[in-house]
Amino acid sequence: MHNSGMFPQKTSTSTVRVATALLLLAGLLPAAHAGLAIALNSADGTVSLIDTESYKVIGKSIACKEPHHLMATPDDKSVIVACSASNQLVYFDPLTGKEQKRVRNISDPYQIGFSPDGKWFVATSLRLDRVDIYDARSLTLKARIPAPRTPSHIAFDDAGRFAFITLQDSNEVMAINLQTLKKEWVIPVGPTPAGILMAPDNRHLMVGIMGEGVVEVIDWQAQKTLRKIPTDTAAHNLHPRGDGRHYFVSNRSVSGGSISLLDTKTWTVIEKYDVPGGPDDMEVRADGKELWATARFGRRVQVIDLTTKQLKISIPVGSSPHGVFFTGHAPRK
Amino acid sequence: MIQEFLDTFVLVQGWLLDKVVQPSLLALGLGSLVEPAFDGIEFFLFGVIQLAVAYVLLRPLEAWRPVEHWPDRRAVRVDVLYTFLDRLGIVPLAVFAILSPFVLGLDGWLRFHDIIPPQIEDAFPSLEMHPLAAFFVYLVAIDFFEYWRHRLSHTLRWWWALHAIHHSQRQMSLWTDSRNHLLDDLIGGAWFALVALLIGVPPGHFIGLLVAVRIVENLSHVNARISFGRIGEQLLVSPRYHRWHHAIECPPGERFRYGCNFAILFPIWDRLFGTQYLAATLPPTGITTPELADPVHADHFWRQQADGITGLVGVIRKRKAPG
Repeated sequence: MHNSGMFPQKTSTSTVRVATALLLLAGLLPAAHAGLAIALNSADGTVSLIDTESYKVIGKSIACKEPHHLMATPDDKSVIVACSASNQLVYFDPLTGKEQKRVRNISDPYQIGFSPDGKWFVATSLRLDRVDIYDARSLTLKARIPAPRTPSHIAFDDAGRFAFITLQDSNEVMAINLQTLKKEWVIPVGPTPAGILMAPDNRHLMVGIMGEGVVEVIDWQAQKTLRKIPTDTAAHNLHPRGDGRHYFVSNRSVSGGSISLLDTKTWTVIEKYDVPGGPDDMEVRADGKELWATARFGRRVQVIDLTTKQLKISIPVGSSPHGVFFTGHAPRK
Repeated sequence: MIQEFLDTFVLVQGWLLDKVVQPSLLALGLGSLVEPAFDGIEFFLFGVIQLAVAYVLLRPLEAWRPVEHWPDRRAVRVDVLYTFLDRLGIVPLAVFAILSPFVLGLDGWLRFHDIIPPQIEDAFPSLEMHPLAAFFVYLVAIDFFEYWRHRLSHTLRWWWALHAIHHSQRQMSLWTDSRNHLLDDLIGGAWFALVALLIGVPPGHFIGLLVAVRIVENLSHVNARISFGRIGEQLLVSPRYHRWHHAIECPPGERFRYGCNFAILFPIWDRLFGTQYLAATLPPTGITTPELADPVHADHFWRQQADGITGLVGVIRKRKAPG
């Protein structure tokens, strides 16, 4: 991986080790960064490394063809970048941004997710109407499930018995039984469903419905829609604030883009922030002070100050930024 | 400066997406096409820039050192129409819409049977870390396949019936590159899609590759006395080099029976495969097929399209005829 000369090379000699330590102390050689955000430039095939304190892009790594989504491994020691057009998973160190390894022959991974019980690794192939289920440890393919059309985002129930997939072009949500590794059911939802997340009560699934600008709330056990909550044009993705109650919803319009804050107790939108550029994937700081969002069509990562509710800074990155991640993020519920 | 250009570009691109494209797609229930549509708008905007740059840079060359003077430029006008349809994405969009279900179907079928289409990086993993080198390798690979596509379009009689439309222009200019029969465009699109599947063209490189090819192709058709010299003409296709490809009379010799200088970007392919012809002269361009040489057809888009179909049907009928 190209590292712009930022990282010290490993060496076995104690002299060099001491010298390196001194240089580190002197601040001349940055090592693991205190706060590092990783943003995926899906059209460039690169990863932008951003200092979360100074908001400066401090490095750029070559990733692969079409890196869209990323997530931490269950042990938090790696961030996995799914490279759909490269048929690869690329592992990065979340603290340094250094590449750790590549796993090849993972066919067209778009969205990825580990089941909560750590048993399965699920990857959707948006382009090819298919969901692949791998053994999470060995990454060997266990099932390949047709999912017409356009399987996109993934959610799980708390026990890891089901994976729920939005089917963007057939306007449906599909449930896959992770015990039988077969399709369990498919239910219709609003036009162009995208992001999907399980609410903290493990009963309600929340789905971003782009075509209607709403979040559709589904009782997944009863397999029926309970309500539709208007957010804004092109409601796309969901992300937890980390307090077990509130969720951000990115409304992926370019000039009128926004992020809504949804209260899952009252099922109402309680705040909305203007975020231009087509906000897409999000990440929240553990202290709850900042929300980061990739501006998919604006070539930027937007940082929203959650105290002032205003756009704090707009960081130029590469083309079509999609996934974003940093350590020190808020809890995922 | 670059950031300002990008910001302005993205602003226009975003505005078009927001105000024109996304509302229509969402209304039609085609929301998942929003992301490809954003790329499509980029393609369109690049086309606009390219048209402007080609006109600003190449038209003065044609005025300054023309190979031929044309008192009547009516025949050029139809090539301008072809160019706008092509460069602004109308023809490519139609080709994409027709082909993508088949290509995705093939890709999906292969993967469902555990066949992951190969990529150049599988053989040379170090290219993954060197995007510029990878870009050049893909450019060379695509040009190799384009050489053979082009050569076959001259060799196979049914294909030539369509490709002859491109060659029927006697007033060859910077606009002539896009003058193609629509079926020829469709076949070219299918060829490219299969090549992309075969070698794994990175989606992020796609527009860059296309822009590189188009710039050279605009230049190579220009009506101007320009050559790149003896060495230069072995490195990159020049207007003089390509003019011989469009010559009414092929150079003498059996190896030039179907034409010469088929290369799109790099003349090395002609040299390697025995189809290179170098000369200092600048021949007149066009073909002698009577219907296609008819001046009535010279400035008529639909008549040319009909001529291509007529020619194609004629070839198929002859093949079926007994004896």
